[in-house]
Amino acid sequence: MSFLPEIDAPGTGSLSALKRNFGIIPKIFRAQMLRPDLVEAQVQMLDGLLFKAGALSRIQKEFILLTVSADNNNSYFPALHCQTLQFLGVKAEQSQQIVVDHHSANLSDSDVALLDFARRLASAGPSFTDLDVEALRKASFNDEQILEAVLMVGLTQLLNSIQVGLGTEPDFKSRIIFPLKEVNPPVASERQTIDSELQDEFVSDDPDFEIVERVRNGETDAFEELVRKHGRRVYRSLLSMLGSTEEAEDALQDAFLKAFQHLPHFEGRSKFSTWLVRIAINTGLQRVRGRKDFDSLDEESEEFRPRNIQAWTDTPEEFYSREELRRLVEREVMKLPVKYRVALMLRDLEELSTEEAAAVLGLSVPGLKARVLRGRLMLRESMVPYFSKAGASKS
Amino acid sequence: MISCQDFISELGNLLDEEIASEIRERLETHLAHCNTCQVLYDSTRKTLRIVTESGSFEYPEPIAEPLVSKVMDRIRK
Repeated sequence: MSFLPEIDAPGTGSLSALKRNFGIIPKIFRAQMLRPDLVEAQVQMLDGLLFKAGALSRIQKEFILLTVSADNNNSYFPALHCQTLQFLGVKAEQSQQIVVDHHSANLSDSDVALLDFARRLASAGPSFTDLDVEALRKASFNDEQILEAVLMVGLTQLLNSIQVGLGTEPDFKSRIIFPLKEVNPPVASERQTIDSELQDEFVSDDPDFEIVERVRNGETDAFEELVRKHGRRVYRSLLSMLGSTEEAEDALQDAFLKAFQHLPHFEGRSKFSTWLVRIAINTGLQRVRGRKDFDSLDEESEEFRPRNIQAWTDTPEEFYSREELRRLVEREVMKLPVKYRVALMLRDLEELSTEEAAAVLGLSVPGLKARVLRGRLMLRESMVPYFSKAGASKS
Repeated sequence: MISCQDFISELGNLLDEEIASEIRERLETHLAHCNTCQVLYDSTRKTLRIVTESGSFEYPEPIAEPLVSKVMDRIRK
């Protein structure tokens, strides 16, 4: 039951639009029937924004509603949208995969870009920039479609808040198996905590704020301080992507030059360092894309399962010198596909927080976590011959 | 009861210690009975330790200052 009484509504008038489009009159509206005029207003909005044909297809819009609701840990809407998508011909398995990670849900490249955009707008709000809009244009979306995408994210947030406020329980028994913890925290107050923690992360005081302001006010020389301070992080991010010190040095210069040129557009809603690493990653990607052996940052390959399960010695490092370990790690990290390599590098070598790394790569937090884990497991696999009890003693 | 697949999907959060205590308890119960996941958890943890402490992909001191100059030259052009 909802916090307010759910009233059985006749499926007539404007409510028939709900029935037509959702197959039922969802409980979230039945719980508002003490004010039919307010329900009517919402139905009209849904009709204009969601039900009517627009620049985006209905399925694309439902994908956005589904993804963003899942990212919000909403316990009601993912089930409703999966059901609606089934009406529209999308298999439940695919919707389920979108909830877990839309990169591996067999979607077209443009739909993946669309959902990346929606997730970033919804979850990384304060660090959302014109680069995100530009990414959608590059994926061949026109401005009308971009506007609709933005409105869909806004609509999802509105509906999610209404549901949390009314405490409405799902219309359907969810057929979706959500990953532990990511979705459906049992208590609404936990959801709030997660959100406010994220907000704090992004609006925290930027230690570079003052220098950035000086550069923006025309003091070009002050930029030198930023290059000196962040050079190491930019260089290491680029080296781990490109694998060559010469290329990393060139790309570092390009990245800082770009950052300087775009500084007037930097709105200070994310930390300068996050924004800078994002530019560096994009610079590195442009170079990697030109290569023959380029593995796309977006395409998801088959699921990875750990195969080699042999116990390791307690301190496997002791069989190798520091120099040997360094070379071994660099060689094996460079063998990882670039998307896993970059995610692992940002988290485990640069030690960015999960939220920062996700913001840098334009991924949702669950998406970033999945890539980091995959990178770690692949790296572990490649290390087994050196560090397992059988392997280490042989060397 | 959680499966090995559930364990693997939570492994990242466990390694990062970003995990609710009740889920951690369930994972630990699983670990106590599952040798495969024990080895997987132990070796992945050690992999991360080795990676973090290896000093890989370092920024060599001698190139740092010349790079600052190169960047600033290009900006001032």
